[in-house]
Amino acid sequence: MSTDREHHLDENQLLWAVVEEAELPLPLREHLSACPQCSANKEMIEQDLVRMGQMAERLSPSPRRRVSLPVEKAHRSIQWSWGWRACMGAVAATALILIITWWSPTTRTTHRDNANMLALEMQEAEQLMTEVGRLVENALPYMYSDISTESNATLDEEFMQFVIPSIEDEILSYDLEKGGVWLC
Amino acid sequence: MNQKQNHARVSDSGSQIAPVVEQARAGSRTAFEQLVDLFQGDIFRMAYYRTRSSMDAEDLTQEIFMQAFKNLDRLRMAERFRGWLFKIALNRIRDFNRKKKFRALFGALDDNDKVAQPYGERSDRAEALDKLMIQDFWKQVGMFLDKLSRMEREVFMLRFMDHLSIKEISQAMGKSESTVKTHLYRSIEKFKKEHSMRQFLQEATA
Repeated sequence: MSTDREHHLDENQLLWAVVEEAELPLPLREHLSACPQCSANKEMIEQDLVRMGQMAERLSPSPRRRVSLPVEKAHRSIQWSWGWRACMGAVAATALILIITWWSPTTRTTHRDNANMLALEMQEAEQLMTEVGRLVENALPYMYSDISTESNATLDEEFMQFVIPSIEDEILSYDLEKGGVWLC
Repeated sequence: MNQKQNHARVSDSGSQIAPVVEQARAGSRTAFEQLVDLFQGDIFRMAYYRTRSSMDAEDLTQEIFMQAFKNLDRLRMAERFRGWLFKIALNRIRDFNRKKKFRALFGALDDNDKVAQPYGERSDRAEALDKLMIQDFWKQVGMFLDKLSRMEREVFMLRFMDHLSIKEISQAMGKSESTVKTHLYRSIEKFKKEHSMRQFLQEATA
């Protein structure tokens, strides 16, 4: 710290002081403010830069005509009002289309129509459920019912009984052969 | 005007003009005209330094203010108006110079360009001054600026010729403050070595 305060700013530090003094560490800034030699070196560069800026300004022409602004506000309001009108027109057209659609005979539905439609739908649903019930009982189409086993179920049972007698029948016939008693 | 006065002008401008900018943003034409009065000279000179033609500078100034007028509602912080205006100016002048170079490639320089002879244009204010000195000055400045990189040149001009603060330069160029300072450091380092130019400046203002 003390060495920073004692030594003069080097070239690099001096240039940073010109760029922005706040970039320097505090001890160097303190030295700069206290040291006449370093301050003079810094000011010399700064003054040359200021001179250049001043001369450039002095040796430049002045603008001869004033900047003219367009009649922007009025123009803008006209444009805006046209835009507004177009927007309102679009909204009105949309509303008109919606109203026409709403009141047209094709989409217009009364309460009575709704009730009739409901009854019709219920009737259709009932028919559908009847059909479903029939299919649950016998899913075969009518044309197959004659050849299916379902229609001759009783005959088949008698026939099967004849072909393959039950165990009880076998026992009964065995007893008869051995001189048993007729039970039926 | 010394360095301290320059700094004061730069640092105070933002807060001073903020109410006027707010009024202009609210649609007050009078307020915007006030801003034109405040900055027309700065913008004109900025364009002149970079084109060395008062006719081009006048046209550019007009275009820059028109652009600012149209886009003022995009400016978020009123106190940053100056940096914002210089940003528009920088972009506009860069476009102008690019087009000019492109035209020069095909030898299509118009009369306006031919008038823009470097270091030779005189102004009404400078009529009393020695023509040789004016030419010498711009020659010296031109030679020095040619030694700088594009970024160094832009930062140096914005700081010491257009009198912008580092913060305003950062805003106008879209670079960080530390980048601006680094380029400023390098340009001042080169300026310090320009002994003949510095001697000329000291003699001219003695």
